Amino acid sequence: MFVTTFRKAVALAAAGAGLVALLLSATSAHAVPSFARQTGLACEACHTVFPELTPFGRKFKLNGYLIDNLPQVKGVTPDNKEALALNWMPPLSVQFIGSYTRTKTAQPDVTTGGGFSGDSQDGTVQFPEAFSLFYAGRIAPKVGGFIQVTYDNQDNTFGWDNTDIRFADQAMLKDNPLTYGVTFNNAPTVQDPWNSTPAWRYPFSQTSSVMPTPIASTQLDGLGNDKVAGLGAYVLWNNLVYAELTAYAPAPHGLGGNPLNSAFPDATVHGIAPYWRIAVEPQWGQQSFSFGAYGINDQLVPGGVNVTVGPYDKFRDTAIDAQYQFIGDDHIFSAQTTYIWEKQTLNATLPADPSQTLKTFRIGGSYFYQRKLGGSLGYFSTTGSANDIYACPTPDPTATQAAPCSANNSPNSKGYALELDYLPWQNVKLAVQYVVFTQFNGQSTYLLQAPDGSQMTRNASANNTLYIFGWLAF
Amino acid sequence: MKVRVLGGAGLVLVLAFGPSSACFAEDQETKHLTAQVCATCHGTHGISTSPAFPNLAGQKAVYIETQLKGFKDHSRGDPGAMAFMWGMSSQLGDETIKQLAVHYAGLTPARGTPADKTLVAKGKQIYDEGIAEGGIPACAACHGPNADGNENIPRLAGQHAPYLVKQLAYFKSLQRGNAPVMHAVGEKMTLDQMEAVAAYVASK
Repeated sequence: MFVTTFRKAVALAAAGAGLVALLLSATSAHAVPSFARQTGLACEACHTVFPELTPFGRKFKLNGYLIDNLPQVKGVTPDNKEALALNWMPPLSVQFIGSYTRTKTAQPDVTTGGGFSGDSQDGTVQFPEAFSLFYAGRIAPKVGGFIQVTYDNQDNTFGWDNTDIRFADQAMLKDNPLTYGVTFNNAPTVQDPWNSTPAWRYPFSQTSSVMPTPIASTQLDGLGNDKVAGLGAYVLWNNLVYAELTAYAPAPHGLGGNPLNSAFPDATVHGIAPYWRIAVEPQWGQQSFSFGAYGINDQLVPGGVNVTVGPYDKFRDTAIDAQYQFIGDDHIFSAQTTYIWEKQTLNATLPADPSQTLKTFRIGGSYFYQRKLGGSLGYFSTTGSANDIYACPTPDPTATQAAPCSANNSPNSKGYALELDYLPWQNVKLAVQYVVFTQFNGQSTYLLQAPDGSQMTRNASANNTLYIFGWLAF
Repeated sequence: MKVRVLGGAGLVLVLAFGPSSACFAEDQETKHLTAQVCATCHGTHGISTSPAFPNLAGQKAVYIETQLKGFKDHSRGDPGAMAFMWGMSSQLGDETIKQLAVHYAGLTPARGTPADKTLVAKGKQIYDEGIAEGGIPACAACHGPNADGNENIPRLAGQHAPYLVKQLAYFKSLQRGNAPVMHAVGEKMTLDQMEAVAAYVASK
């Protein structure tokens, strides 16, 4: 591994990162060649372009990743019922992402415990930016899974990533097929088959892990996969109507509290967080259109896992989403959108003024020619009520990096993203992406606070990010 | 011994020998495949939503069997076959293939899809009479006056028009390699003629 990282720039960017990417989590994942190995199907069966699923890919996922065209090691009970069905070769695969990231203006440097000291060097090469190992496919006759472990360049560690293990079966209901199942997963919407919801958002499924990211994000965007574990049940009737109910419990990795986002550091989920989802997807010819709603109610304990009594910060996220796909032989067009409305009752963090709101909106479209050449365009925004959470914190003389904060106590961030892609082969993507921020942490400017308490104003557009990456899956 | 006799071109006999566990397992596998695997693309009742995948309901059993074997031994290698059916057919045994073919042959075919009348009329003329000056024979000669096929010659009536056009193009480009007769026909057809004849049989 070779890594060139300009330490201060990355550290400063990371300060704003947390789990709050407006566009995406740092280690986004994709479906994988494991499935191709197991099913014998080309990538295009399940994907338009990674990671966007086709209608067939959605059914494959909801049916438990079970389609299998490999020789099996089998076992049966004395009454001839299937007791074991193992692939003779485990469906494993690898994902590798290498990248170059550059912001429009270099991040300001700070001295440890002191003030600002000029600009840091801009431009970060990450090789790899992320490296993932997958087991993805059938586990038992009616049980399959997508299990991902990812190496993160920024932490220099392997960590648990997207996981969805499910039982699935089918029945007929009034002459129409009914798929039903149970999912065990580690983040809300990881189990979702549409690419309009946060975990598998598309387009812009991949953004730079060192891109400066705003402070605020909703729970649906931020409840990452090292924080919770969910057990849920779902049904898909007549390949048309989908409904799901999942309960999430806290499952923080390690003993300390993990930050849910940088506005609520060290917080962990308290109790059970119910997640719900409904969606309808009519399909006709080469087109499909889905629309639906989803949401979660959760409570956070600001002090982390060691705090077991209130008060708690309460969140109620309600969201709507839609997706359109046209999948032709030569031309593929798709569009996704979602709107998340979050009602916050911050009894722990902001007891004097607990009722707050946060809203996230995303819309994007993409076009590909013969799955080889294409591009995407998207708009994103997170807006909400202004409050002290987003103001600059009390200076920390021991800090080694500047803290981003809002000059007007507003969480507002908005911007656009553009990406051009070339896929010489179905499992290799080369892309150039540019993200434009029109607002960042409140307005067109925001504050950076050095460890000694000194502050400087930075333009939102200074964080505009050029990201060039290569993605391989094999 | 039970003998089920099914109609269609040539009588296809499926023999189920008593309570043999091997045959029971085959039956179970066929049920599982049609309900939970094939149905994903070809529809619960053999009628697909997307024209990327052909309707199978009412298709000739012998034809389905030939195609499945062609996928399995890769003698049919057009892009769609390669991406989907090579994998799907790779573990199918001969008996399962036969049962799948009989299953789909026994389902009620899709109803025709109306299309532009001028296009359909042009397609009907090509289908019924061929194009003498272009050396294109009448499709009806092999596929039957009602486009319902015959043994190893597929039923075309009610099939998705875009799927048929794509197959004709594959015959022309020789990408679909297990149909020498159709290579000779396809290479003489223009795209307009393909679209017309496809619209006509799809409307039936």
